[in-house]
Amino acid sequence: MEIKYTVQGLLIYAAMGAYLVAFVTTLLRRRKTGQTLYLLGFVIAVLSYGYRWYDVRHVPLQNLFEVFLCMGMIYPVTLFCYRILRVGGGCGDMLIGVIVLFPAGFVFNAEPQRLPPALQSWLFVPHVAVYMLSYIFMAKATFQAISQLTGKSYDSDEKLLPPEEATYRMICAGFGLLTLGLVLGSWWGKVAWGDYWGWDPKELWSLASWLVYVGYFHFRYMFGKKQQRINSTWAIAGMVVIVVTLLWVNLSRLFSGLHSYAT
Amino acid sequence: MSKFRNTVMWAGLTLIIALIFLSIYGAFLGAERAQKLVNSLPVSVYWLAFILILTAGLAVFRRLVRVPALSLIHFGCVLILAGSMWGSDAGHRLQSQLFGIDKVRTGQMVIYEGHSENLVALEDGEQIKELPFSIKLKDFRLEHYKPEYLRVQTRNGESWKVPVEVGTEFYLGEDFGTVTILRAFENFQIRIEGEERIVTDEPQSGYNPALEVEIKHPDGDVASRYVFERFPGHIHPEDEFLLRYHRIIRDYVSELDIIEEGKVVAAKNIEVNHPLYFGGYHFYQHSYDAEAGQYTVLMVTSDTGLGLVYAGYVMLCVGVLWQLWFRGVFARMKLKSK
Ligand code: HEM
Repeated sequence: MEIKYTVQGLLIYAAMGAYLVAFVTTLLRRRKTGQTLYLLGFVIAVLSYGYRWYDVRHVPLQNLFEVFLCMGMIYPVTLFCYRILRVGGGCGDMLIGVIVLFPAGFVFNAEPQRLPPALQSWLFVPHVAVYMLSYIFMAKATFQAISQLTGKSYDSDEKLLPPEEATYRMICAGFGLLTLGLVLGSWWGKVAWGDYWGWDPKELWSLASWLVYVGYFHFRYMFGKKQQRINSTWAIAGMVVIVVTLLWVNLSRLFSGLHSYAT
Repeated sequence: MSKFRNTVMWAGLTLIIALIFLSIYGAFLGAERAQKLVNSLPVSVYWLAFILILTAGLAVFRRLVRVPALSLIHFGCVLILAGSMWGSDAGHRLQSQLFGIDKVRTGQMVIYEGHSENLVALEDGEQIKELPFSIKLKDFRLEHYKPEYLRVQTRNGESWKVPVEVGTEFYLGEDFGTVTILRAFENFQIRIEGEERIVTDEPQSGYNPALEVEIKHPDGDVASRYVFERFPGHIHPEDEFLLRYHRIIRDYVSELDIIEEGKVVAAKNIEVNHPLYFGGYHFYQHSYDAEAGQYTVLMVTSDTGLGLVYAGYVMLCVGVLWQLWFRGVFARMKLKSK
């Protein structure tokens, strides 16, 4: 834990504060105020990301600090899902915003780094960006799955999908990106290290998370909506494996491998 | 669902779940042991079973063939598995037995500057094989991020990053005076001739980057020091500063010629992320001579099966996006707008 007394740090804390207050206000049924605060948090999160970009002079997706900072700009995804995909959970997204900014604000080191040779590739940005976007969709799916399991829905809007179907739709959106991320990563591995698949721990965890969703699709195809609780459990299991993929591999000294510079 | 289809579906799901657990187990083993595991006989049987069930699925579920997106996904998976098995060690052995194709799957080459080489040391570290062409290393070099820096640190921890600009005086403040970098060496060499010490830079014969630094104290004392990148941490008892010459590597570059029957048939500078492709092999910048900068180490890999895997990747991605986004997610937008 460290507090960052820098412009960068202050921007992160301000965005987190706005998201948190937005969340509480929305819970208290002050929807309008909540939305405004959420938008404000987003603007600050964009500023904070832009500031970082200016600071390091390359797309800031190099390490976990930058990746979490990027995921803090979740608002457009909320809007897209609500308006176009008819999936709610905006309130949960505010919380997701706080959760993803927390490690950037308090855990990871923000010291700017030069890009090592292996990361100087045009595949670097799409590979990571696609993964991050997919993780946001999967986080939203998890939120929907939890509301399916607990039977509590925070969305009163008639036009929105019920939680089980919303979970499915979020996973459909996320899985396409997850597949792209995996394939781009594999291709990059071939270009940079000579192998499209190295059986490195990070690769194996990401394969496992991808496969959990493959399992979800087939299970749901076999049983449809007859086993809603199990469908939701698959979705949550997927998120658990994603969190391990993203964090544990980098943080624990248990695994060492090619991806370990990305801390 | 008919009984047979049900069985295929369950078999597929079971194989998927088994692979989830296998991947997680492999992650605990580390890359090297995981690689051995997935190439072992029992796991090879598993891969074949996966291909078999996927094919069975394509045969018994008519929708998997009729819906193009679904067939792209599942057929793509078959190609990826088949391609990687074809390109594995066992696949290479099989091709050598069946068709007499004797290709190196993967190995390393050490090439000295100015020399050409066609020998590949295989992964096991014991065997050596020949390539049908040779590779000449014209030059190997390290590139560093600019500007480079000299780090100056006092005994109580105050520090500065002095950009390496020869001849420019850098002011450290009233108490400390100035620092000037007088000369930068690629390969610092020193000889003693009689009473005299002669310092030269001989970049051709080795690798010993260094800086010559002049420190002017505010009271007028002038001291001169050499700072070596590869030997950090030198400090004289009377010195006020710890000096470090620390550079960040931006790239490793090997300038190569491919030589076939005495003629240069291709040339390329390879770097990390920019391999050379020739004669069914990819050549990668893998390592180098950290002591003297005289040789490069290339990694060689055969491209057998790669085309199948890449075709499978494209099919998988196109299929998944088509099925899940355009049929799944966005199809509802159309409905809505009607
Ligand atoms: C192991 C053998 C497999 C079998 C027997 C199998 C079978 C099936 C079947 C029957 C469907 C339903 C098609 C329909 O909607 O009518 C399906 C859907 C699907 N399969 Fe597979 N599959 C297998 C492996 C895989 C793998 C390895 C992937 C990896 C990407 C995959 C990805 C998908 C996807 C994305 C769908 C669409 C799901 C949806 O629209 O909800 N399948 N599969």
